[in-house]
Amino acid sequence: MSSLKEYLEKFDCGDETERVYAAEDIGYLNTAEGVPALVERVERESSPAVRDAIFQALIRIDGDTAAEGAIRLLASDDPQIRNQAVDVLRRKGAQSVPFLNTVMREGDKDLRKLVLDVLSGLQSGETGEIYQAALSDRDPNVVITAVENLGRMRAGEFRGRIEDLLLADSHPMLVAACLEALVGIGNPASLGAIRRRFPELATLPDFLLASSLKAVAALGSEREFAEVASLLPVRGPHLRPAILSALMAIYPRCARSTGGGDLVAVLQALVEDGDPPMCRYQAVRVMGFWADSDDVCAFLVSCLSSPERLVRLGAAESLRMGTRPDLEPVLEARARDESDEEVLQALGS
Amino acid sequence: MPELSVDQFQSLSQVIYQKLGLHFDEKKIYFLKTRVAKRMAALRMDDPREYLFLLTYADPQGLEMQALANLVTTNETYMFREYDQLQAFANHCLPEVLSAKQARGERTLRIWCAGCSSGEEAYTLAMILQEVFPQAQNWDCEIAATDIDENMLRKVRAARYGQRSVNEVPDEYREKYLVEEGHEYVVRRRTTALVTPFHLNLHDRMAMRAMRGFDFIFCRNVLIYFDDLSRKAVVDHFYNALNRGGYVFLGHSESIGRVTTAFKLKRFETHLVYVKE
Repeated sequence: MSSLKEYLEKFDCGDETERVYAAEDIGYLNTAEGVPALVERVERESSPAVRDAIFQALIRIDGDTAAEGAIRLLASDDPQIRNQAVDVLRRKGAQSVPFLNTVMREGDKDLRKLVLDVLSGLQSGETGEIYQAALSDRDPNVVITAVENLGRMRAGEFRGRIEDLLLADSHPMLVAACLEALVGIGNPASLGAIRRRFPELATLPDFLLASSLKAVAALGSEREFAEVASLLPVRGPHLRPAILSALMAIYPRCARSTGGGDLVAVLQALVEDGDPPMCRYQAVRVMGFWADSDDVCAFLVSCLSSPERLVRLGAAESLRMGTRPDLEPVLEARARDESDEEVLQALGS
Repeated sequence: MPELSVDQFQSLSQVIYQKLGLHFDEKKIYFLKTRVAKRMAALRMDDPREYLFLLTYADPQGLEMQALANLVTTNETYMFREYDQLQAFANHCLPEVLSAKQARGERTLRIWCAGCSSGEEAYTLAMILQEVFPQAQNWDCEIAATDIDENMLRKVRAARYGQRSVNEVPDEYREKYLVEEGHEYVVRRRTTALVTPFHLNLHDRMAMRAMRGFDFIFCRNVLIYFDDLSRKAVVDHFYNALNRGGYVFLGHSESIGRVTTAFKLKRFETHLVYVKE
């Protein structure tokens, strides 16, 4: 059986494939003694294929040494090496956490940020201490990354801290991160915090409005529906997808009598004005909430003849939200002229 | 039950891309929505946010992603599948490799069809090769068709296919390369002669190391069923198995760029392909 020494010697071979095999074999040898050589080699290896193989080997080698080796590579000047080290540490899972904890305490701001990048892909219950430290970090990028991770991980135990940051902090990126985190972990109290911070959505700058709309979509109800609907005709076209998404999400939490009227006219104009197809699809889907009304139903039926596939698809789905018994023959007739398989499915054929 | 919203669809397609390498654009919203609804019903979930969270953060073994993959992909294999990609191979990559070889005085061409299943793709490549490069008969050409499943390899050797397998074969190819026998089509001998079927487990690293000197590797819609680490290992082997200037083809919606940095992306008109430089 070949020894580690033999494999290490192959690292000096001019043939790239031999070096890839050497790295792979060291990985399968699964010995901690191979780690220092892999870590040292990766910094001066020019072939991306060999580098990839070295990182795969670090993943394969069990024990703390490989995690420690990857931690050292977080400080590399080469961004590709840093990213691949992050990937190795993620795959090491809970085994990395004690080392990451140390870096969080002792590392500079770039390293602390990388620690959180590792944690963003890690399911481990032992990371609370790191996040506690990160939320109080003096560097805003570290705090923002921590908030983003906690939102994505749905770490509800940090909800209060995030609401406090939302109310107290002025860094716009952090405020946006807090809003987005509350989409996943917020509760009615969180909506209260959001409304205290932003009593009027209409006055928010675009980038904060986009994040606020996501939070309001997840948590809002009747009052927010009307307020969000009022933004549609007055804010820029780039915000329409977020506004329409929010309306779709909030409506099911509203009374059946909510909306309609002026909003329908605005939505109708959006469907017709040739916005990006996805936006037209969203508008036609929101109209589905009033699919039982004569005017809306007639408009939706007319949309079934649109040359834009997504408009026809949205109209079919929206009409299916209604309960009109007279609709079935109309949909059946329309299905006879429809060739798109998915629209046909949505029509119920 | 709330349905998948547009932004949830976008997040979902991002997660599927990251984990499976499959790209779903907005035209596929209804397709994904209905598949996700099926999975959510099976899991008794009623909030798409819960499902997205499960896929993204609570599926460490990738089991749910695999269940979704089974719903959004098709195991069906047939000749001339993913025609666009075959056009890139036939019109750009193959002529480029052949002229480089001719310039060097070489007369060998080796193609590897990895995870060949019942052989439709291998024979498609053999037909294209004969069509684009009639001199193939005077060269040392080989299409290595490998699969882990001996039953599949028996089908490759039989080279006999039903109507579904040949539906997409252009008429001019059908006449030249297939013979109709009852309800079946048999690949003509001069085409089968180019294909060498044999057993290979893509996870067997020593066997994989023996696969060297290829100009093209086709492994379409196979790696999506592998976990990240295995997928990476296989793609690394493909890199080593290719000659410089050789190309690797995964499924048209699969991406290799997120698996390895070793290959270079190359564009031919609207086609993107990966090459070992």
